[in-house]
Amino acid sequence: MRHRFKDIIWLAGRDYRNEWQMSSFFIIALAAVLGPMMILYGLKFGIVGSMLNNLIEDPRNREVRPIGSGRYDSAWIEQLQAREEIDFIVPRTRAIAATIDLKSQAAKRIVSVEMIPTGPGDPLLKARTIPENLRQIVLSEKAAQRLKVKTGDEINGSLSRRYKGRSERVHVTLQVVDVARHASFTRDGAFTNLSLLEAAEDFRDGRAVPVFGWSGTNTANKERTYPSFRLYTRSIYDVAPISDALQKLGIEVNTRAADIDIVRSMDQNLSLVFWLIALIGLIGFSFSLGASLWANVDRKRKELSVLRLVGFRTGEIIWFPVLQSAFTAFFGWLTASLIYLAVSFTINGLFMSQTEDGETICRLLPDHFLVALLLTLGSSIIAASLAGYRAASVEPSEGLREI
Amino acid sequence: MTTTVIHPGATLTGEKVLIYHLRDVVKTREAEGSAFRLRVPSLQIALGEKIALIGESGCGKSTLLDMLSMTLKPSNIGSFRFRPERGAEPVDISALWQKNQLNKLGDLRRLRIGYVMQTGGLLPYLTVRENINLSRRLLDMQDDGLVDELANDLGIHRHLNKLPHMLSVGERQRVAIGRALAHRPAIVIADEPTASLDPIAAERIMSLFIELVDELHITVILASHAWRHINRLGLRHLEHHTHREADGSMTETVVSG
Repeated sequence: MRHRFKDIIWLAGRDYRNEWQMSSFFIIALAAVLGPMMILYGLKFGIVGSMLNNLIEDPRNREVRPIGSGRYDSAWIEQLQAREEIDFIVPRTRAIAATIDLKSQAAKRIVSVEMIPTGPGDPLLKARTIPENLRQIVLSEKAAQRLKVKTGDEINGSLSRRYKGRSERVHVTLQVVDVARHASFTRDGAFTNLSLLEAAEDFRDGRAVPVFGWSGTNTANKERTYPSFRLYTRSIYDVAPISDALQKLGIEVNTRAADIDIVRSMDQNLSLVFWLIALIGLIGFSFSLGASLWANVDRKRKELSVLRLVGFRTGEIIWFPVLQSAFTAFFGWLTASLIYLAVSFTINGLFMSQTEDGETICRLLPDHFLVALLLTLGSSIIAASLAGYRAASVEPSEGLREI
Repeated sequence: MTTTVIHPGATLTGEKVLIYHLRDVVKTREAEGSAFRLRVPSLQIALGEKIALIGESGCGKSTLLDMLSMTLKPSNIGSFRFRPERGAEPVDISALWQKNQLNKLGDLRRLRIGYVMQTGGLLPYLTVRENINLSRRLLDMQDDGLVDELANDLGIHRHLNKLPHMLSVGERQRVAIGRALAHRPAIVIADEPTASLDPIAAERIMSLFIELVDELHITVILASHAWRHINRLGLRHLEHHTHREADGSMTETVVSG
């Protein structure tokens, strides 16, 4: 039995090869349906995939920003930090007090920058040195360019206030420990230790800052409150629960949840569109293949009856058209894959300049190729089984004479 | 010292070994008010015999051949035994049909029967050699030189590696004969094997066929309407009589021998 199945494979293969013109038409017809489908899916997977990836990768999408100002003490912040959905949280001082004038040796002008509180694990400073004390800062790329400084340089920072009717300006030497990526902060900015921000706020409020030797009123034991904070959740999926929780506490927040929802629903809708097209294409192909295989059985009636006559069993004859459609499926898939590879290579080349490193517009995983093969094989074999059933009904005696 | 020549169909004691033994086998076919019946009250064909079935088309030759080649189920069977070898037990074909064991019948065909079709019936996608070897291949037979020998005898050796469509009709028919004999079957059934050839080629191929069958000690049943040269080949003529009802509603052929 097994041995004669080998013979059927051999015979079906020889017939398929002998009618190579007919076989190639079917292979090309299949590739013409399957190739564009793979490209379409590759585009959907590539574009939507990298959009989703960007959403997940970009820390700004994990940010939950309180609107307006409140009064949060460090105990409250710490309590929030304990929640597992939260990746990073640091209090902010008053925005109006969170600026500093910077001056470097290399550049003439004074650049006024926003100070952003940072700390270990800040998602905006991933793979960057974090300022450890109040004399270290990380400049935004823009600020570093305007000041013409690089990592390791020292710069002068100055703050001014009107105190007791007089204008005062204090200076502090700061060390640039790193420069942040442009995407992290696009304006003039400096990531600093929270204590530098607190010092700036104290100085502007007329309070003494002993660590720098700045004079003012003594407020050593007063409990500090912060008007705001920087908060990043662990993933984009944690944004909704955290913003809900904060809103329950009466804190209005801003998030990019809407953007995230748009991309996610676009992914779903595009998937639906793709599967609709794929379904129509595959059904159409299955019907045309099925019809031709059906007609083939008529055309090859005599040959099939000869096979019956020389002793092939009913169950073995069924395999003849089924195997041939499996050949078509395999070679059609192979051709479609080659078309896909060529086209995706071209598309990705065209968009090379518009994409970031490692991003591709048109992309399929090995799994996708496998799924395409299995789907094609499945639909072809279903299409062929009817023809196989018809082939099995060919009487051996039909081969003995002309009908 | 004496040499005993034993006829392939006879035992040492002179008793005949019957490859086919049919009794009261009937096939009825009905179509639009007219019926056709083939009746075989008794038929005995010995191993090694050469049988000719000669008659016009429509007389039931093909129906009989189909039943003998086990591809057509008789309507009624008294008994139908098939004994492909001298030492073998007769196979009860009637029982196989009744139990609908089509695959067993297929196995029997593959092993014991060779066919020569009216128009070759070669597989167009196989070379001449592969076509001839097909019956052997399906039986896992090792190459013993018979394919080449047959091709030589049939005068088609130089075509062995060609596809059938490159051959003339006569040459294709020779290939078909080669394929029918290559697996050394017990019996070869040929239905009008030379009908598509011109008379001269037909006669030549027919003689060649009978020569080969003789050489390989294979039983043969040959159906033909051209009886003139068949007579010269020394075949046993199978008697049959056809009579029609006056109103044309029934045609019956009775075969016996």
